[in-house]
This record gives sequence, structure tokens and C-alpha cells, in this order.
Amino acid sequence: MIVVQDIHVTFGRGTPLEKHALRGIDLTIPEGEFVTVIGSNGAGKSTFLGALAGDVLAEQGRIAIDECDVTRWDTPKRAGLVARVFQDPLAGTCATLTIEENMALAAARGQRRGLGLALASERRNGFRDRIAALGLGLENRLHDRMGLLSGGQRQAVSLLMAALAGSKILLLDEHTAALDPATADFVLDLTRRIVRDNRLTTLMVTHSMRQALDYGDRTLMLHEGRVVLDVSGTTRAGLDVPHLLALFAKQRGGAEISDDSLLIG
Amino acid sequence: MSEIALFGAVEIGLVYALVAVGVYLSFRVLDFPDLTVDGSFPLGAAVCAVLLIAGVNPWLASLAAGLAGAAAGLVTAVLNVRFKILHLLASILTMIALFSVNLRVMGRPNVALLMQDTVLTPFYGLGLPDHIVRPLVVLVIVAAVVLLLARFLSSEYGLAMRATGVNARMARAQGINTDAHICSGIALSNGLCGLAGALFAQTNGFADVTTGIGTIVVGLAAVIVGETVLPARALLLALVGCVVGSILYRLAVQVALTADVIGLQASDLNLVTALLVAVALILPRLKGKSRAVRAAR
Ligand SMILES: Nc1ncnc2c1ncn2[C@@H]1O[C@H](COP(=O)(O)OP(=O)(O)OP(=O)(O)O)[C@@H](O)[C@H]1O
Ligand SMILES: [Mg+2]
Repeated sequence: MIVVQDIHVTFGRGTPLEKHALRGIDLTIPEGEFVTVIGSNGAGKSTFLGALAGDVLAEQGRIAIDECDVTRWDTPKRAGLVARVFQDPLAGTCATLTIEENMALAAARGQRRGLGLALASERRNGFRDRIAALGLGLENRLHDRMGLLSGGQRQAVSLLMAALAGSKILLLDEHTAALDPATADFVLDLTRRIVRDNRLTTLMVTHSMRQALDYGDRTLMLHEGRVVLDVSGTTRAGLDVPHLLALFAKQRGGAEISDDSLLIG
Repeated sequence: MSEIALFGAVEIGLVYALVAVGVYLSFRVLDFPDLTVDGSFPLGAAVCAVLLIAGVNPWLASLAAGLAGAAAGLVTAVLNVRFKILHLLASILTMIALFSVNLRVMGRPNVALLMQDTVLTPFYGLGLPDHIVRPLVVLVIVAAVVLLLARFLSSEYGLAMRATGVNARMARAQGINTDAHICSGIALSNGLCGLAGALFAQTNGFADVTTGIGTIVVGLAAVIVGETVLPARALLLALVGCVVGSILYRLAVQVALTADVIGLQASDLNLVTALLVAVALILPRLKGKSRAVRAAR
């Protein structure tokens, strides 16, 4: 469960470039809920996920994960609770380390790292089984460097890594944006499977209205650092992409949508 | 080249192999260009020499030299991660400060070890000539260090250190305290350089504050030569490459200095080394360019 109370984030405070990116977000996300997050460029989606992960500390407000107040915790300290997949496939893995080394890094997330071998053989076999389940044939390439994989393969492995250490929360920031449509579908399916199997509380940022409604249980729209739409259940089931687009346009003061960078998928 | 000169080159190459391995750890594993080495190497030599003269056990003195080097590295790392001073500048500050510290430790610019027992002493009486005993003993020490370091880098903790150097953002997202790993890694790197300084003092019979100048360049040269002759991805092999690179570098220097035709003197060593490193850094770039040009045609 995530409880967010009135968090504010300002970048470049006191400079001419001061940007009040989050302006009071209040939110309770129950355990196991899958939330999709939409909003225009600069709405504050990535900042919000960063605030949950600890990359940016909220200057005001409170964040609790599983009844634990993490407001002042930095990223490494929160990592035991929070797993992430980034938009850039390069960002979430170590390109010059092997696939199995990357997996070993993720498997120890949130635990003390000692002097025991990172890749003991029974562990290796566990990784092999996990990665074989992806159906990408990567089980024979555990010794390959991560940098040799395609973007889609890397995102798939990143998702797998996110679920290795039993985190409670999964944060996905446009994790399919760099992929071709077929690969994106594959990764989204995998996402759904991993979220379900591990009962992860998930926030997924997307620019696709279609995805936002098709995946998960609840949809949030951010605008200028605030939550302007929060739908779930039957209300959400009754929504279609045009409704969402209309709401979107209203929030943007009626600006026409044609010049928007939204992908309507 | 005489037999004695040959073994002498191998011996000094092996001593500096520890520097090369340390430099590999900072420059390659942690991606942290650290020049502290120029100070931590003579610091190790100074600490070891002073302790030997005070009658301390040579192994303990060598260990103390390693710890002193590690402390110096820690200063650089803390200046960088805690106080956000650029890594290069932080290491230069420590290096400059160490010059004074080393003078304080020894009380004068150089100290001679004449009658003191060293880690080599027990092995001199075993029938082998001294100029072979010295590189052999150093080789055993270097081999032990390389094996231990390879094992360390394959551990959970060592893997986290490698991730810190490759992708710090990812490492932090995986719960790795990157600041702590930079501190321990740079300390370890300089600890190895301090140990190298201790071995230098014991094999050469003196410690001198000026021996540190250019240590970093020699270490880098060894790493680069090693990567060229042994382009390995596997950790252990990469570390062995550093050792081989360091020995080859010393042999090349020896050959260049003994071949009268080129007319080089011992004092040209730093110039030759700097040129070698510069060429080694430029070559891959030129190769890449010509490949790109060919591909464009
Ligand atoms: N590190 C930073 N320093 C200064 N300003 C920032 C920083 N990060 C984000 N911002 C600003 O904060 C606002 C919100 O940015 P954010 O990245 O959260 O938007 P977003 O909703 O993720 O947009 P996009 O859809 O383009 O990814 C933007 O105006 C952005 O310019
Ligand atoms: Mg974003």
C-alpha cells in the first residue's frame, strides 16, 4: 500500500528557472492495485515516480509505503520496497555486465551485500529457469553482456529483475516507449503477468490512452503537478479513449489535441 | 640486456603490477580517475621504511603501508562523494598534501634500508641468487593479491562495486549505496598502491619522496598494455592482463634505455611513458575513425 499526503516538489528553488513540479498530490493506493498514469509532457509524471522511488525528496508532505514512513529515505534505502523499470532500456541495466550478473544485482536488492559469491551455481540455475520462462531463448545467453541485447529484450529482462527480490511496489515510467509496437505488446503482456503473479502494487506511466484504459484497475491523470482525474471501477469501465481525450483537452484549457505529442494507440 | 637487467625489469614490473591492478580498480571498475596514487605509493614506501627501521615485523610494516595508502584513498573519495569536489581535483589535492605528509613521516626526503630485515630476508639463504629471489617473492605476493581481488569482485559486494562504476543510477535503484562503494573501492585501490610502495622500498632498499612522481601514468600504461595484449572480458584475466602489461612495459623501457642507438637516458623515462600512454589512448580513436570513414564510403 502507498499513502501519499500532499507532497510538493520544486526544482531550482530560488532561481529564475524555479519549477513547482508537484503541487500537492494526495493519494492512497491499496495493496496490489495496478494504476496507470497519464498526462501531457511536463505534467510531473516522472517527478511523481521519482518522488516515490526517492530520487527526489518531497519538500513538503509525507510518503508511506506499507505503513512505513519513507519520506526522508534516499533511493538505495527505498530499493528494498520499490522496483523500477525505466523508459530508456540502457538506464535500468549495466551494459558491460553479463545478464546473470545483472540478475544477481537485482536479486540482492534491499539485502546486505556480503562477500559470498554473487553467482553461486544453484542461483545461476534459478536465473536460467526464470529467463527461460520469457520464451526469448535468453537462457543460453546468460554469460552475454547485457549491452548485446535488443531494447525489447533488455526491458523484458529488466521486468524480470524487478520481480526477483520480492519488492512491494513496481514503478514503470513509459517502459515501452522506446520499443516497436509488437515488442511493446510483448513487454506489456509480460508486465501484466509479472504484476499479477507477484501481486505488485504498480504505477505505470504511459502516453497511450488505450493502454491507460486497457491495463490495470485505476487511471490517474496528472496536470501541472496535480491529480486532475482519478477513475476506477465502473466509471473507468465506461470510459473510452475519446472521453479521455476530451477530459485531457479540457484540462489543457481547450487547446486542440492535434498538435499534442500523445500517441493514441 | 644482461640477465640481471632482465630480472631487474621483471621485478620492478611486478612491484608496479600492484599499482596497475589498483589503477584498474579506480579507472576501469569504478570509472573514477584517481591520481592519489602518486602520493599513496611513496606514502606506503615511507611508512614501511620507517617501521622497518623501528624494528617492526616486515609483514606488519607492509600491512601498515597498505592501510596508510587506503586511508589516503579514503580522503580523496570522501572529498568527492561527501563534499562534491570533482574526482580529479579531489585526488590532486590529496596527492599534493601527501607530499608534505611523506616528508613528515620520514623526517627527511629519503631513508635508506641497509641492515633491516625485509619480507625478502628469509628467502635469500635458500640457494637462489638474490636477483631471482626478489622477483619470485614479489610474484607470489602479486599472485595472491590478484586471486583475492578477483574473488572479491565476484562477490555480492564486489559486483555492487562494479555496477556502481558502470551505471550508478541503476545501482542506486537496486539498493546499492554507491557513495559507500566508491569510498571502499578507492581505498582498496590506494591500499594496493601503498603495498606496492612498501615492496618497492624493500626490494630497492630505500624510500624517497620523489619516487611517486608519474606513478599513475606508469600504472595506466600497464593497464593499457595489458588490455592490448590480453583483451579479456573475464575478471581474472583482465587482472592478469594488468600484471603482464606492467612487466611488458618495464621490459620495453629496459630495451629502449639499453639500446644506445636511440640515445635515450634514464631521465627520459617519464617522457617515453607519457608518449606511450598518449599513443595508446589516441590509437583506438584513430582506428575507430578510419573504420567509420571506410564504412561511409
Ligand atoms: N531535474 C530537474 N530539474 C529541473 N526541472 C525539472 C527536473 N526534472 C523535471 N523538471 C521539470 O519538472 C516538470 C515535470 O517534469 P516531468 O519529467 O515530471 O514530466 P513528465 O510528466 O514525466 O513529462 P514527459 O511526459 O515529457 O515525460 C517539467 O516542467 C520539467 O521541466
Ligand atoms: Mg516523464
